[in-house]
Amino acid sequence: MSLLAAIRKLWHSVAPRTHSDVEEEFRTTLDAYQEDLIRQGFPEDEARRKARIDLGRPTAQNEIYRDAIGLRLFDELGGDIRYGLRALRRNPGFAAVAVVSLALGIGATTAMFSLIYAVLLHPFPYAGADRIMNPVIIEEQHPDQPIWFPLSKPQFDDLRLADSVDSALGFNNAQMEITGGALPEDISGIYLTENAGSFFGVRPLLGRNIEPYDAENGGHSVVVLNYRFWQRHFSGDPYIIGQTLEINHASYTIIGVMPSSFAFNDSTGVGDVYLPGSLMQGLFNVPYLAYFPWIKLRPNVTLAAASAALEPIVRQFAKEHPERFADHWHLALQPIIVPYQQETGRTLTLLLAGVVLLLIIGCANCSILLLARGRARQHELAIRSAIGASRWRIVRQLLVEAVVISCTGAVLGVAVSYWLAKLPLLLSPDSFPAESVIRINAPVLAFSVALALLCGMLFGLVPALRLSRADSAGMALGRQIGVVSAPAKHRWSVLIAAQVALTLLLMATAGTAIRSFLQLMQMPLGYDPANVMKVGIMLHAHEQGEWSRIQSREARTAYIEQIREKIASVPGVSTVAVGTDTTPPDTGDQSVFNIDGTRDREQPQARVMRVDQRYFAALRIPVLEGRVWNTDEDARGDFVAVVNHAFATRYCSSSDTLGLQLRIPGLTPRNRYQVASPQSTAPRQIIGVVGDARNDGLDRPVVPAIYVPYTAVMPNYVQFFVRTQGDTLAYLHSIRAAIASVASDQQISNGSFNGTFTLNEALKQDDQYSRQRLFSILFGIFSAMALALALVGIFSVVAYSVAQRTTEFGVRLALGAPRAHVLWIAARIAFVSTAVGIVIGLAFDSFLGAVLAHWMQSAFAAGNLFTAAALLALSALLACLLPARHAIAVAPAEALRHE
Amino acid sequence: MTKPVELPQGTLEMLILKAVSLGLLHGYGILLRIQQISGERLEILQGSFYSAIYRLERRGWIKGEWGESVNNRRARFYSLTAAGTRHLKAETAKWIDMATVVAGILDTKVEEI
Repeated sequence: MSLLAAIRKLWHSVAPRTHSDVEEEFRTTLDAYQEDLIRQGFPEDEARRKARIDLGRPTAQNEIYRDAIGLRLFDELGGDIRYGLRALRRNPGFAAVAVVSLALGIGATTAMFSLIYAVLLHPFPYAGADRIMNPVIIEEQHPDQPIWFPLSKPQFDDLRLADSVDSALGFNNAQMEITGGALPEDISGIYLTENAGSFFGVRPLLGRNIEPYDAENGGHSVVVLNYRFWQRHFSGDPYIIGQTLEINHASYTIIGVMPSSFAFNDSTGVGDVYLPGSLMQGLFNVPYLAYFPWIKLRPNVTLAAASAALEPIVRQFAKEHPERFADHWHLALQPIIVPYQQETGRTLTLLLAGVVLLLIIGCANCSILLLARGRARQHELAIRSAIGASRWRIVRQLLVEAVVISCTGAVLGVAVSYWLAKLPLLLSPDSFPAESVIRINAPVLAFSVALALLCGMLFGLVPALRLSRADSAGMALGRQIGVVSAPAKHRWSVLIAAQVALTLLLMATAGTAIRSFLQLMQMPLGYDPANVMKVGIMLHAHEQGEWSRIQSREARTAYIEQIREKIASVPGVSTVAVGTDTTPPDTGDQSVFNIDGTRDREQPQARVMRVDQRYFAALRIPVLEGRVWNTDEDARGDFVAVVNHAFATRYCSSSDTLGLQLRIPGLTPRNRYQVASPQSTAPRQIIGVVGDARNDGLDRPVVPAIYVPYTAVMPNYVQFFVRTQGDTLAYLHSIRAAIASVASDQQISNGSFNGTFTLNEALKQDDQYSRQRLFSILFGIFSAMALALALVGIFSVVAYSVAQRTTEFGVRLALGAPRAHVLWIAARIAFVSTAVGIVIGLAFDSFLGAVLAHWMQSAFAAGNLFTAAALLALSALLACLLPARHAIAVAPAEALRHE
Repeated sequence: MTKPVELPQGTLEMLILKAVSLGLLHGYGILLRIQQISGERLEILQGSFYSAIYRLERRGWIKGEWGESVNNRRARFYSLTAAGTRHLKAETAKWIDMATVVAGILDTKVEEI
């Protein structure tokens, strides 16, 4: 059945008889009665007239019919809505201002709601996503750094078969290369246990997911594509299923493409391709033959019960592999949303508070406009009530008009919100789960409709109650006289004060956000990010032959050094350094060390950074004491270390830093791709102290760090830090060519893990940086909107009241009132209420300052508040005076002619 | 001419049901029939008459269908539905009960107490 037919059917059940049907029946009756009357001797004209007097007009019959079947309220509301729309059309200026004030508020609130819905309520596309847990190890010493742990296949099976577990997914990320094409391309692959299809419960866009039978015969050579990879690499080819893809020189059949909402897994790296886990056994390119687990709990199993049930199993693993576990730890099950919830939740709450304020200001604005316009409508309302409209009827009509405005605003707002909701994601992409898709869906629409109705009621009620309490005779008279000053009580003065106070709050918040963002940008970094680019390369590990050439430590060092020299020979490149995982502002591995000759009860920790000796020059990190290691020491890898200033003050206060011996037990190969120097864990002498460079994020203090030669432990990837003269990105092409001249198939990486970007870009990816930027931009927009709304409110109140009191001002001027005095009278009320609003706002803000400072993680400075207040006062003054000017421009004679 | 009687609230609907129960009638026919049975003593307010018919039809007690009238005019004829029949029976019983009780009370003389 078509929608139209459905509507017709519904309508038929509400009003079964048509207009003409009712009218025709009535006409028959009318005719029959008329004939009877003629028969009784009435002349035809008379009979016709009497019939109509007795029975009524045929055209009015429908109204009686609809009234009888209970459609009267409906009809009246329809009439009110039509009247409301007509009133809006008659007053386009008023309508535009009111609708836009609400559209801003409703749009922003809807956007924020859809963001919260997508990010916090429904971020994952997986079936039973709220039961999926990350098992993590929490070390007692570092409870804030949960550790993921890999499991061997038998261990994974133990966990999978535990009582409280419904099913478990094992996954393992691996860097891969697409081969067979003109140029190799780095991609990220994820091996999944073959229950992936049922565990995720996500319908593939094309083809199928990995299924249990893909495990047969050591694993089928099949691959499922990520949506973005499919778009990027295959341009979204719809006939891709069944084609082959060559990865690491082996061919795989493409069996499926996942939908765009599927981006497993945001925490360890989103995969471009997904492969059956059984393949790992026969392959060479996997660093660990292990699975990281995600477990889905059975329904109705509590987190605590599940943790208690799984803990003994993991304790058993710890007994088997004591080297992987710290001394004191416990198991925790972390819902997969947790990593996002804390920071993102805080961000979104703050933004939501901002948009709700904006919405309230928008509503207050509409109330003010309605009240101001209502005074011009008093005449109309007085007549309505004089001819018998009840107060309830007038209130209802005014409310309906308000709802008409709010619904129009909502339509506009929802359209805007689609775009607005994407803004935070654009500004701070890393703060949100990759899989959250912002869309206007049913819950979001329901939310905005409810919001529109609520707003309409909210801002319509005060004016409706106020205006409907009209004493009709007085009103009708009052308009005629005109000199009688308007009622002394102005509801809108309260509203203006409230609006101004809230605007001030938003402005102060924006000020704080912008200020702390500026502070963050001006914070000394300890290194110079300008004109430095990080270039990552993956060493080829996918083929035994190729790998054996660079497998040994010496061969690998030589290969890297060869590339380094080639890059350094590019004209315009001043310094090239080598490092692994040492891109500021968040660098190094947190590791345990001990200083020889000291006995600490707590195990001291520091960031261990593996770099070459040129790193300090490339990043312009000053050497404070001693020296940096030389080329020979760099190649050897052992016995030397350089520490940062934070390390020296924290751990070496009692003695001279230089000459101390320290030992880092963790400097050993972690997987089969890594090679270590012969005595990497032997004592190292501290030969130098360098300045503090940010290494724990932008907003946190520098933590102690130990620099060791990168040849101490080498993984199968490396990063070059290239300092150039002028814009680094301009050199990218020559750098690429330089690398290719060493090994033609050596590509530079583009991924998030080992990608290529400038250090300034790396700064912008910092969590705190992007969050503060988000806050300053969005709150800047919010407060600008709020300010605009408040000014429009003030302006329209003064403008209306001046228009109303034209005669009065004319008389005053004619009687010799000074112009300044008339100006003051015209602007007085708006001006006073603005001032009151600012005072309230100031008081309120200093009270709220502490709360806000906590939420924004930055100080709430009083200076901002006064700047904001001054700005607000100044612009409010303008908004008062501009329309008030018209009051003194009144020509007395003309004003009196109005009488 | 005898004195006209004013209808108590809600009784018009009952009378319409009764008139229709006596045979298929169009709107004007119902009006005439009621006036005829009552001996022209009931003055029915025309406005409320059709309202009552619409309400009865809406509740499903009578059903209207288009047909030909005696003088070959198209007219809407009403008939009682099964629900209408039940309702009329119940209402009639209620009315007679109430009328009996009220009449009984009003007829009471001092010596009967």
